[in-house]
Amino acid sequence: MSCSEALRVHAYFDSELDAGAAAEVERHLETCADCAALLKDLETTRSALRESAPYYRASGELRERIADVLDDEDGDRSRRRKSWTGISFLTGAVSGGGVTALAAVLAFFLLLQPSPDLLVADLTNAHLRSLMSDHAIDVVSSDRHTVKPWFAGHTDVSPPAVNFASQGYSLVGGRADYIDGHRAAVVVYRHGKHIINVFAWATGDEHLPAEALRNGYHLLFWKSGNIAFCAVSDAGLDEMKTLTRLIQNAGAPISRE
Amino acid sequence: MSDQRARFEAQVLPHLDAAYNLARWLARPPLDADDIVQDALLRAFRAFDSFRGDNVKPWLLQIVRNCFLTAAGQARRTRNVPIVEDNQPGADDPAWISDTPDPESTAIRAEESRRLDAVIATLPREFREVLILREMEDLSYREIAQITGAPIGTVMSRLARARGMLKERWLSDVEGVRHVVQ
Repeated sequence: MSCSEALRVHAYFDSELDAGAAAEVERHLETCADCAALLKDLETTRSALRESAPYYRASGELRERIADVLDDEDGDRSRRRKSWTGISFLTGAVSGGGVTALAAVLAFFLLLQPSPDLLVADLTNAHLRSLMSDHAIDVVSSDRHTVKPWFAGHTDVSPPAVNFASQGYSLVGGRADYIDGHRAAVVVYRHGKHIINVFAWATGDEHLPAEALRNGYHLLFWKSGNIAFCAVSDAGLDEMKTLTRLIQNAGAPISRE
Repeated sequence: MSDQRARFEAQVLPHLDAAYNLARWLARPPLDADDIVQDALLRAFRAFDSFRGDNVKPWLLQIVRNCFLTAAGQARRTRNVPIVEDNQPGADDPAWISDTPDPESTAIRAEESRRLDAVIATLPREFREVLILREMEDLSYREIAQITGAPIGTVMSRLARARGMLKERWLSDVEGVRHVVQ
């Protein structure tokens, strides 16, 4: 039943053969019914595995745990270098000035902590929430004429919701979320195995970072008129930039403020 | 944030889902995929300084697989809980959106997904892992050989065998469910 060429058919299917060997296998496939049937099976198996089998993703909780572990590890390194000066400073303060001085020293150390970028944290958390819960999409549709009007009743802005399926970015729906005190519209795209949330909210003159990275998620920001945008995903940076370019070229959003 | 941490976040963390998916397909209760991945990421972070390659994904997955083997070895040595090789169909199937919004086809897809999960779980680990790495992670034979420590020829034959087993078991599962008599 199994032809001696079967293994090469697998390799051909996996694009592991050079051009010459691939041409040989193609000629063989024209005459060998077993191998032609095998090739069809391989396609069926692959699409079942890629489309129907569960792909397990790291939970938000695990991402937080890993961030904590890396913080500890990272902190250990920098603390080791600083520990001597820190200890002598503290000892001197305690023996000299007592509790007030100690409090002052602690306050000094607290001020040295970088202030967390609340917006980036907000967006990352909203993205994580959407991946973990059923709150991924409020309106499921690949049709811009369904998604965009839906925003009108639920959010402060109506960003473009264009399906870029032919470019590899399928529109899967829209959602309302709450970002930086605003009712944000979220357009949800799927790119391969990745989900890309594109947040849009009304903003003033506040400064946005161009891009940020948090817990392994990229955040790309841009502005169009008085609308702030942020794409969040674990997809590659270049893939995300392709999508943001498509959106930016798709037309200006309309604010209803 | 240190430079190393920033580079790690940019280059390694994008592969966290791939790391988790592999761990989840390898680990059986009482082993916990979360613990394995956390351990792997810490080791990867410590080793990242000396990582010189440009292909992060197989490097990370190799660490994940090693952490799984270490954890499995420890669990086996403690002997109080046997490592079950056959998976129970997961109650924690990802509740992720599908392209088809209507409830009926969503339910059919969820059922298919659950059965496929159960069938893949019956494959012995060395076949299951090459299947996951090739079909879900789209890695080349060479990368799979690096991750599993097996020669490329072995990767090829395991993959062919894994695909054959999956097809066979999937079909018998489908027939068993639908009582198809031909």
